[in-house]
Amino acid sequence: MEQVKVTIALILAVLAQWSLRNVAEPFAYVDFPLIIIVFAALQRNSMRAIIYGTLAGLAVDALSSGLLGANGFTKTLVAFMVAELARRVYLDNLFLRMFVIAGACLIDDLAYYGLHQLLGVPPSAPLATTVAYSFIGTLIAGTIIFFLLDYASSDRLRPRRRETLSPRRQSRRRNPIKLNR
Amino acid sequence: MVERSQTEVWRLTPWLVIFLLLGNFILMVFNARVEGGERVIKVWALTAADFVQSPVTTISSGVSNYFISFAELRSAQDENTQLKERVQELEVEIKGRSDLETENERLRLLLDLKEKSKYRVLSARIIGRDPSAWFNSAVINRGSLDGVALNMPVVTDGGLVGRVTAVGPLTAQVDLITHDKSGLGAAIGEIGSSNALGVISGTGKSDLIEMRYVSGSIEVLPGQVVFTTGQDGIYPDGLKVGEIIEVISGSATVPHRIFVRPAAGLGSMQEVGVLLYEPEQKPDFESSLSPGERTNRRQGTTP
Repeated sequence: MEQVKVTIALILAVLAQWSLRNVAEPFAYVDFPLIIIVFAALQRNSMRAIIYGTLAGLAVDALSSGLLGANGFTKTLVAFMVAELARRVYLDNLFLRMFVIAGACLIDDLAYYGLHQLLGVPPSAPLATTVAYSFIGTLIAGTIIFFLLDYASSDRLRPRRRETLSPRRQSRRRNPIKLNR
Repeated sequence: MVERSQTEVWRLTPWLVIFLLLGNFILMVFNARVEGGERVIKVWALTAADFVQSPVTTISSGVSNYFISFAELRSAQDENTQLKERVQELEVEIKGRSDLETENERLRLLLDLKEKSKYRVLSARIIGRDPSAWFNSAVINRGSLDGVALNMPVVTDGGLVGRVTAVGPLTAQVDLITHDKSGLGAAIGEIGSSNALGVISGTGKSDLIEMRYVSGSIEVLPGQVVFTTGQDGIYPDGLKVGEIIEVISGSATVPHRIFVRPAAGLGSMQEVGVLLYEPEQKPDFESSLSPGERTNRRQGTTP
């Protein structure tokens, strides 16, 4: 069931990426598919996240003037890196996840720009401005979307949400007298 | 569905990543080397996207028009009073100018007729923009079923917008003249009256293009208008490209660097026109030679 929800979210993200820039120009700086790919990668299913990364990237490339496969490449790479990170580090806290979204966005943008430069098709937009705006846009949208996806996710994951802003846990001291029982 | 153990997934993942990265890289290299190599994928994606982009554009423009009209209603009363006064002034003026207006209208219609007979124009609506922030192409709601073909010029009432770079049955993708890869032959002033010829290319900025290779010995001033020459084999001659806003003067041996603001409002356009224009096919060099010349050319001898 969780897989179906993430798949639907990814399809909606691709459709939003295709259409929302024509509604308002600032939406160009929000990478909706990347947010969903990071979310999928954080769920510790690396293979699914990587395949989602390639498919969503190719879907975006198909309507872009950029190189076909550039987004597919960068999003696959980001999905793998986030999945490997999530395997080694506990990342269920929202603040940590925001750092992950920010890092993923930077890697995605820089790799995309680098690949185009490497293959002799430099992008039209200036690097610093585009990376900065994408960073801000994707981070804000990513935080909101993560909240929504967490809310819509299965009961199994819900207890984790309480840790989002929870106070520091107090460890209970055991009574040494009872230890020998 | 096959359930894999976690260890098996961890073992397989790097191989899957390498395979997919390699696949994407090959696609990129193929796309960078072969012009139009991605065409089949693009056509399918354009067709699929149309079912989403058209309704979203219709709904968003409907909502935005509603709010604009609501906002405009607030200032309508003041404007109404001002307009009534203005109408009275204008009526007096119009009476004195009616003869001139009639003559002007007649001449304008003649001019319109002449221009319209030159190329057929297919009106289209912009239903999508490039999904990536790095590029700035547009998707229009006309495709091959409407007669749109590759490389057809796209214009607005202001001037040149760009050319069609991918065509689906229902939609088409348009690369703007601000695109880095775009290039077109242009002249400062009307063709025939100007010898300031050059090439227009994108600068990466959405409201600025650059004209290169204009001889530094020719006087060029800001405010002059740039038109297409038709020598690039894509755009017809005489289309307005834009207005010069800055000139970095060259010398007898160094060409000018000329910055031009596109005449078509590329950032805010909603409606465009596709010129159903296909340039004359130029014969390739080999076929234009006589049989004797062709034989000499193959043997590497000159007559």
